[in-house]
Amino acid sequence: MRMFLTGNHAAAYGAKLSRPQVIAAYPITPQSPIYEKISEWDGQGALGARMMRVESEHSAMAASISASLTGARTFTATASQGIALMHELLHFASGMRVPIVMVNVNRSLAAPWSFWSEQTDSLSQRDTGWLKFYVADNQETLDTVIQAFKISETVFLPTMVVLEAFYISHFMEPVEVPDQKLVDDFLPPFEPAFRLDTDNPAAFSQTVTQSQYAQFRIQRHQAMEDALEVAGEVDMEYQKAFGRGYGLLESYRLEDAETVLVTAGTIGCTARVAIDELREEGKKVGMLRIRLFRPFPKEQLITSLRHAKKIAVIERNLSPGQEGIFCEELKSALYSRVNGIPVCGFVLGLGGTNVSPLHIKKVFAITEQMNEAPLKPILNIEDEDAFGI
Amino acid sequence: MIEIKFQGRGGQGVVVASEILARACFGQGKYPQCYSLFGAERRGAPVAAFVRVSDEKIYLKCDIDHPNHLILFDTTLVNEKQISQQMVPGGFLLRNGDNSYNSDALKSHTVGSVDALKIARKNGLEAIVNTAILGAYVRLTEIVSLDTLLKVIRDTVPGAIDQNVAAAQEAYEKLSLHQKM
Repeated sequence: MRMFLTGNHAAAYGAKLSRPQVIAAYPITPQSPIYEKISEWDGQGALGARMMRVESEHSAMAASISASLTGARTFTATASQGIALMHELLHFASGMRVPIVMVNVNRSLAAPWSFWSEQTDSLSQRDTGWLKFYVADNQETLDTVIQAFKISETVFLPTMVVLEAFYISHFMEPVEVPDQKLVDDFLPPFEPAFRLDTDNPAAFSQTVTQSQYAQFRIQRHQAMEDALEVAGEVDMEYQKAFGRGYGLLESYRLEDAETVLVTAGTIGCTARVAIDELREEGKKVGMLRIRLFRPFPKEQLITSLRHAKKIAVIERNLSPGQEGIFCEELKSALYSRVNGIPVCGFVLGLGGTNVSPLHIKKVFAITEQMNEAPLKPILNIEDEDAFGI
Repeated sequence: MIEIKFQGRGGQGVVVASEILARACFGQGKYPQCYSLFGAERRGAPVAAFVRVSDEKIYLKCDIDHPNHLILFDTTLVNEKQISQQMVPGGFLLRNGDNSYNSDALKSHTVGSVDALKIARKNGLEAIVNTAILGAYVRLTEIVSLDTLLKVIRDTVPGAIDQNVAAAQEAYEKLSLHQKM
């Protein structure tokens, strides 16, 4: 059924259709409408899951881990300060190999206090061992939540579905909400071989020796590497069943592109409009959107970018003292196989500031002028004289 | 694609108005997009809400800086120069109030006004002018039919349904259109 939904409600529908058995969460702007919608269904007796209203995000993740260990399909959602408070338990979740699915609504971290869109909150959790999808619109939000359960339950790792504050969370758009039966056929009940069971007592996560710990770490990494293939297969299977697929990287007008804009999230949606306009002007430009960030699809990335003459990365996050995090990761992936393509890093849209097709076209114009990749991120594109355009 | 900006103050029903219009367009098979700029979130503070409408999927995930249509719930928020600077030429401007104006700045636009506050009060809605504004707006732009609008108002407003429907109908009748200068 086609519905007119915010990104938050699209996430809630994606979760409900996946038939979770436990949802443990704590409300935080701009994620609260997810919590509220799920509470509304709970109040109507229509949720079909046990909702746990916990006292903090730390508890939300602790409860989610425990629930998942009993074999219950588990969903949660958070944002910003909430995911920061969860940090310790995010490592626990991946270490205990629980397939929790969590939506994170990207919001700027304090200080100063604010509520706007920025990817730094989830990227700060880069090394916690969670799969991370960055989605570009409301439909992809719903679809990716459903996909995430299937991927997680195959590789036994938790997945974060990351969407931007306001530009997705509070934007209303038409969304195709699939029939429950289709989702049931796609996503069978979660039945792990090992679980907490009082009839068959066992323990998870006891103290280990050095070498045992190392083995667990390596296994987790291998599961993450396996997840790359699984995520690709699940997306193809989803496309067959629902008619919508995204790939792990989304490419747009990339065939003969000499300059490639690389981005993630909603900028990848807006960039299509800018690229169409630039193409009409005869510019050979295309886009590559990073949809799956962990595991990082390096090989696909290298293949897609091998023939680019110049690359501009546009992103809504910043690692102070370094650069945009996607740019850093991209350079690292390219360095091993393709050297010498200038990569220009642009950090735009911090704190939810606007990134329009005009901004993206300016990024393109600046990149065209660059002969050498800058070592520092470009943070201000307003001063056109500085770039000689 | 049409880009529409609703500009007013907290307590006038600006955000709900944008949602009602977007839902009405959605009901007619269009692809709308709707969002608000959240700020102070209190009564009286400036509020802006936005709708994009197209026949096809909209890929823009960014702000509307230059709307085709501007709906001013409170005419004290911007002057005529600021209006003409933000609007795309040849647009529709709807003003809440019966003030006339005499500026060349707006001459490329089709300008309508309605005393939505008077209509809202008459219908027992106090300062919540959103449904009256929408009645006048659909008359001005014909973006959706009055029947479609009234149906969505019935399905969306949290209370005083008949009064809201009556306010929209009355404002539809009472829109006054300014001549282009």
